[in-house]
Amino acid sequence: MKESAGADATVEISAIIPVGKRHATDLLALYAEYESALDALGVTYEVIVVLDGPRPELAADVQRLLGSGARASIAVIGLTRRFGEATALVAGFQRARGRTIVTLPAYHQIRGGEIGKLVRALGVVDLAIGRRWPRVGGRFEALRRNLFHHMLASVTGQRLHDLGCGARAMKRRVLEEITLYGDQHRFLPVLASRNGFKIMEIEVQQSPLDRYEGGYELREYVRRALDICTVFFLVRFTKKPLRFFGMVGVSTFLVGAVLVAGLAIDRLAFGHPLADRPALLLSSLLVVLGMQLFALGLLGELVIFTHAREIKDYQIEEVVRYPAQKLPEEPRAVERTL
Amino acid sequence: MPLDLSIVVPLFNEEESVRPLHAAIVAGVEPLAVSFEIVLVDDGSRDGTARVADEIARADPRVCLVKFRRNYGQTPAMAAGIAEARGEIIVTMDGDLQNDPADIGRLLGKIDEGNDIVVGWRHRRQDKLWTRKVPSRIANALIARVTGVPIRDNGCSLKAYRASLIKRIPLYSEMHRFIPAMASIAGPRIAEIRVRHHARAFGHSKYGLSRIYKVLLDLMVIKTVASFTARPMLWFAMLSLPMLAIAGLALGWTCFNFAATGKISLSIAGTGVIFLTSTVMLLAAGAFGELIYELGDVREHQFSALTQRLLLASGRHP
Repeated sequence: MKESAGADATVEISAIIPVGKRHATDLLALYAEYESALDALGVTYEVIVVLDGPRPELAADVQRLLGSGARASIAVIGLTRRFGEATALVAGFQRARGRTIVTLPAYHQIRGGEIGKLVRALGVVDLAIGRRWPRVGGRFEALRRNLFHHMLASVTGQRLHDLGCGARAMKRRVLEEITLYGDQHRFLPVLASRNGFKIMEIEVQQSPLDRYEGGYELREYVRRALDICTVFFLVRFTKKPLRFFGMVGVSTFLVGAVLVAGLAIDRLAFGHPLADRPALLLSSLLVVLGMQLFALGLLGELVIFTHAREIKDYQIEEVVRYPAQKLPEEPRAVERTL
Repeated sequence: MPLDLSIVVPLFNEEESVRPLHAAIVAGVEPLAVSFEIVLVDDGSRDGTARVADEIARADPRVCLVKFRRNYGQTPAMAAGIAEARGEIIVTMDGDLQNDPADIGRLLGKIDEGNDIVVGWRHRRQDKLWTRKVPSRIANALIARVTGVPIRDNGCSLKAYRASLIKRIPLYSEMHRFIPAMASIAGPRIAEIRVRHHARAFGHSKYGLSRIYKVLLDLMVIKTVASFTARPMLWFAMLSLPMLAIAGLALGWTCFNFAATGKISLSIAGTGVIFLTSTVMLLAAGAFGELIYELGDVREHQFSALTQRLLLASGRHP
């Protein structure tokens, strides 16, 4: 379990706003919108803004934010370099005292008024994810989004629709138990549901200011694809590397071995000299590749085996031990110090 | 205050069995005059198991309940129960009343004789012949053969362990079938006794040898990991020897042929180079393995301390 400030009975909701590279130009207006929505909930709350990396252009805004009417407790945390949104989130969480954690995007994604919906959903589930619906935007963008979520669904078996939406509400335990790093904040719902938390998508109204900011760079696509691979391994094979590497390795090895056998028969029975068979190269490559993959799987198993006691593959919800009631027949031992 | 005995029972959808199980354990263990606790592990049951177990824990302070949020499987359930247990001896058993808690006394007797692990053998097993008993017989023969731990019934959950030993054995994935084999890295004394086995009274079987390929893969992992965990370099070097031999043959033939005829066959020279590369990669993997072992917390010398006995001492040794 991570270090954190610990829950504080006086604070109901902690709202964390990680500010990354992309953020609203009118941060103050956005903040005001969130603030009025949180006020409307009628519970005590705190706001934690985490600046991911130095943001000199925001210094003036931050000053005004801190100086403005202190209706709620607000904290601004600055990270020394760009760590990624997930790390910013964790940094914010370490200061959070609320029983409920709400994460909010640093740019206009949803109408502020929809936060209440997410928080109320926590009566039934552990993690409520905003889904901007109905959604404005181009068809290409919708296609891209669908493709991403379909690929993810084929890996995790769970169809989600808007992991790009940063507005989420969750019980404190979710972030206490899940380790996030890099860009994993996007996949928090997937990881949470893998840890046995109940998650649900809630339809929220998209902000009229939410605009698709031009095409993504190619690098962004590559990154998403790698993210999906990472999630695939996290969800399916982290605890049994040999199942995956072993299967791929053994099948590669077998294909290669069959080819080699074919070549050998050809040589022995029909006298085709091996020296002018390029297929020999292919088959020996396959055999060797199979061996290497298998060796990787074994190394993975060795990691798991020697660290199994640290990396538990289960999460305990609670341990119930009722203290012994005062039993009349058992006399209380009197402790004495000499 | 350390206890003498912890009884760890994983439960998965066993609502009806929990109460009779608790009664049977208490009836079986109380006459032994040992201090004990019962660790019930609710493996994410969807029926009322957790509620019933909670009521039992409330009524009987010797009962501890570990709750999972979702179903993780029998091995993690056992691992969690074992981690939570405070007894010096840990007995694991199934939650379906097929094991008889009256046998626990005999298990403890065997531990007192100096064994580290005592395994139950369901010698008159009350299960279906073709779907359960025959596959199990084959699997057990295979496991015994491969791991070299001659146990006739790995699937029987009723086992007793010294806590100091079992708490150090890595338990994960679906390894609960192979705990004695896993533990064999520590060189424990293992005994096997016949235990009673009852037909299922409630519900139906939830865990089984469902997928044979998983068992085979797990078996392979255990075999390699358990026997070579301390010397990965050696193991990978052995693996690379045939590769090196092939590389030597192909490259030798190439040199010989070149000397004789002045021609080089690309296929054969290439094959030699590929296998040579592979040899180097495997050796590198072995070196990596050494690093991993060095950083891990499964060390042979720790295990030897757990199972060693003082055979002869004289002079100043206490």
